Amino acid sequence: MSAAVELAGVSVDFGKFRAVDNVNVTVQPGEFFSFLGPSGCGKTTILRMISGFNDPTEGVVRIGGQDMRGIRPNKRPTALIFQNLALFPLMPVWENISFGLEVRGVDKTKRRAKAEELLNLVDLHDVADRRISQLSGGQKQRVAIARALAVEPKVMLLDEPLSALDLKLRQHMRAELRAIQKRTNVTFIYITHDQGEALAMSDRVAVMSQGRLQQVAPPQEIYNAPANGFVASFVGEINAFQGELSAVSGGIGEFKTANGLFRAKVGPGVSPGIAAKLYVRPEHTILAAAARPGANNIPVDVADVAFEGNFINISAKTSDGRSLTVEMRNDGTTALPPAGSKMQFTFDPAKALILADTTLPKPGNWP
Amino acid sequence: MSSQKLSAWLLWIYLLLFLFIMLSPLFVMGGAALNDSRFPSVYPWKGFTTQWFVDLWNDPRMWIAGRNTLLVAFGVVALALPIGTAGAILINSLSGATRAIVYGFMVAPILTPGAVIGISTLLFWRTFSIPAGLHLSALGQTSFIAAYVMLLVLARLQSFDAGLEEAALDLGASHGQVLRRILLPHLYPALGAGAIIGFFQSVENFNVTLFTRGGSDTLTVYVGSMVRTGAPPTINALALILILITVTATIIYEVLRRRALAREMAADALLK
Repeated sequence: MSAAVELAGVSVDFGKFRAVDNVNVTVQPGEFFSFLGPSGCGKTTILRMISGFNDPTEGVVRIGGQDMRGIRPNKRPTALIFQNLALFPLMPVWENISFGLEVRGVDKTKRRAKAEELLNLVDLHDVADRRISQLSGGQKQRVAIARALAVEPKVMLLDEPLSALDLKLRQHMRAELRAIQKRTNVTFIYITHDQGEALAMSDRVAVMSQGRLQQVAPPQEIYNAPANGFVASFVGEINAFQGELSAVSGGIGEFKTANGLFRAKVGPGVSPGIAAKLYVRPEHTILAAAARPGANNIPVDVADVAFEGNFINISAKTSDGRSLTVEMRNDGTTALPPAGSKMQFTFDPAKALILADTTLPKPGNWP
Repeated sequence: MSSQKLSAWLLWIYLLLFLFIMLSPLFVMGGAALNDSRFPSVYPWKGFTTQWFVDLWNDPRMWIAGRNTLLVAFGVVALALPIGTAGAILINSLSGATRAIVYGFMVAPILTPGAVIGISTLLFWRTFSIPAGLHLSALGQTSFIAAYVMLLVLARLQSFDAGLEEAALDLGASHGQVLRRILLPHLYPALGAGAIIGFFQSVENFNVTLFTRGGSDTLTVYVGSMVRTGAPPTINALALILILITVTATIIYEVLRRRALAREMAADALLK
């Protein structure tokens, strides 16, 4: 079976600005694939290119193995769910849903039946004859999904469709979207700047920054084994240390920082002399009364303790004024360190990563 | 307190004065249509008569002029709606200097004196050996009435979400289908207003028609020629009929509009 969507050496220029820079990625049929990145990273441009509203300056877009050059949006086997949903305000719900069938010349009875069927699929009842303005945010969301599914696309493209919803509804719709995708087995390509959404829903995630793919991997790998400093700091919370890698042996490197010499795993493509940072996640650190042998230790003052219920967030300050974050799990007996107390911020070398520092913007390529 | 009272008084005086100046000529004219006097006046009152309406009814030229007026008006609306709408869509898709230039060309006929439009229409079509007549009146009027339509449609286009066009295209619609199912329904209110304004602009037009009509009469031109030879009160009768038609149509429209609004609000209230 050929790939659902393939981007081969794709770049997009807007005047002098390169919005998408040499992207190569293959999305498999039936996959839930996310592009994750900050606003302006080029992810929406990629989506509009797949749906045909933008043309690549270089490279080729293939859908189902077919070269899409010269094929207009209305002839592509894709359906796009817009960020603002773009529902047709002057049509009732069922006409919105069956619009794609109407323009293909399907007769009214069949269209109406298909609209009812899709409304059931997205779990919306008794709204077929309502006007769009009479729906709630979550209902509009479902109508937009039903409208896109009606044309039986090979690929569904979703442009941050949940961003307008409140938190509770957003989390509910995440599970719902995932369930609809499994039920219909349509390839979903999802664009978001919300890492929680991308991790929770996707089979694979492509992290983007400044038009370039930073890493393409399943969510676990993105989080646990980020490819570079950008991915590490964009996805999830992380403590970062500036410094210099001196020696490497057995995959563990020695990293000299202003807070001392630490040992950590060396990430891909990192060797002495390359600009790198040391990264460790808050949940992989321990706040201990005394330095632990074999671990990396930094003396800190506890600045703030936030009890969140299932975990505890602690902010600590080093002697040079840097702020570090520790996350402790609450097992019911965990004692909270009092603010102001002197503790050791410790982490194991196996839990920390030395990664190429790619967090700085490339000069001359930012609007 | 007293200054507030004073301003309230001034407001009332202004309002009454405004209505008086606006409406009193209409009453005088309407009254004159019912006065049994050979000259169109309400004073001295010589008794009630329907004579002028009978005269009007029996004037064959008036009937022909009325029919011609309607013919030209419908022709103008049929031409001005597509031209004005297309112009508005074009201008809406342009930007910068090109937009300013095309906009200027479209709007210029509104600012051009009617006599100039009339004469230039006549001369322009003469170069193609097309003689004067009502068809030229319709073309001449269209040149500035299309601009009114364009302005109305352009204003309505400001509130159109271009994302809807993309959504329709993405769902497989052709550009023609997008126009018919998405864009035009959004423009209907502006097209309706454009048709009504265009219609009345055409009916009341005098100067463009005067130059282009050839040998045919429209109501304005015919009435104009009657005034030159001493104004018979049949003109007042005609005016009174036109006023009554306008007022009745307005009242019916407003009543229907309010009923529709009430229905909509009731439907919304049921859902809540």
